[in-house]
Amino acid sequence: MLILTRKLGEAVNIGGEIKVVVLEIKGNSVRIGIEAPRQVAVHRSEVFEMIQEQNRQAAATSELSLADILGQMQKERG
Amino acid sequence: MKIKTIRFGEIDIPEEEFILMKGSILGFERLSRFVLLIQDEKTPLWWLQAVDDPAVAFVVVNPRLIKRDYDPLVYESDLEFLDVKDKDDMALLAIVTIRSNPFRVTANLRAPLLINAANRMANQIVLDDPAYQVQFDVLDHRTDFDSQGQDKGRGMEKLARQACASPA
Repeated sequence: MLILTRKLGEAVNIGGEIKVVVLEIKGNSVRIGIEAPRQVAVHRSEVFEMIQEQNRQAAATSELSLADILGQMQKERG
Repeated sequence: MKIKTIRFGEIDIPEEEFILMKGSILGFERLSRFVLLIQDEKTPLWWLQAVDDPAVAFVVVNPRLIKRDYDPLVYESDLEFLDVKDKDDMALLAIVTIRSNPFRVTANLRAPLLINAANRMANQIVLDDPAYQVQFDVLDHRTDFDSQGQDKGRGMEKLARQACASPA
């Protein structure tokens, strides 16, 4: 991992199109501003990882047909 | 174009009916072409099948069928990204996860697929509001689930009609 020290108001450029600015430092929180092209998805890491993991689980849906799934749902309804 | 799938065998769908991920389904960045398949008209669960990977298919549902008041704030920039000109063209689909043991069905309401029905471009957006659950329990909301069909947006209808290719 590349580690850089930046002061308040200073920035880092990543490639030609992404810029990260330190906007505010308060206690152990840092507010950062990110400029990136629209096709670059910017998310908090914990949210990003949660969605990624959920997508993986969704794609692993078993080989059941939807009819089977709905049958099972009916059964759950009792 | 003929598409190989492990669930539906080989299906033939014109390329103009593809749904094109302009962003990506997180974790599936390599896949950008999908088709929306209705396997059984009686169910509100549809399949989003990857064109370029026979094994990847997501079960999707119109989130309003499981949560009637689902009307998340979608940023203008997300709409612009997909070139949405008329908000009626905007369709949302939630990705469904089905686990068999124990049996559990959840829908991801936090990160829905946003689709522009006019040009069939799509993206998975992540909503800011953590009140939208990543694992919204579908079985707990079955009353809503039963009363399908009343609240499909026009955008959704358009998509469904165009993509209503039943698997061969």
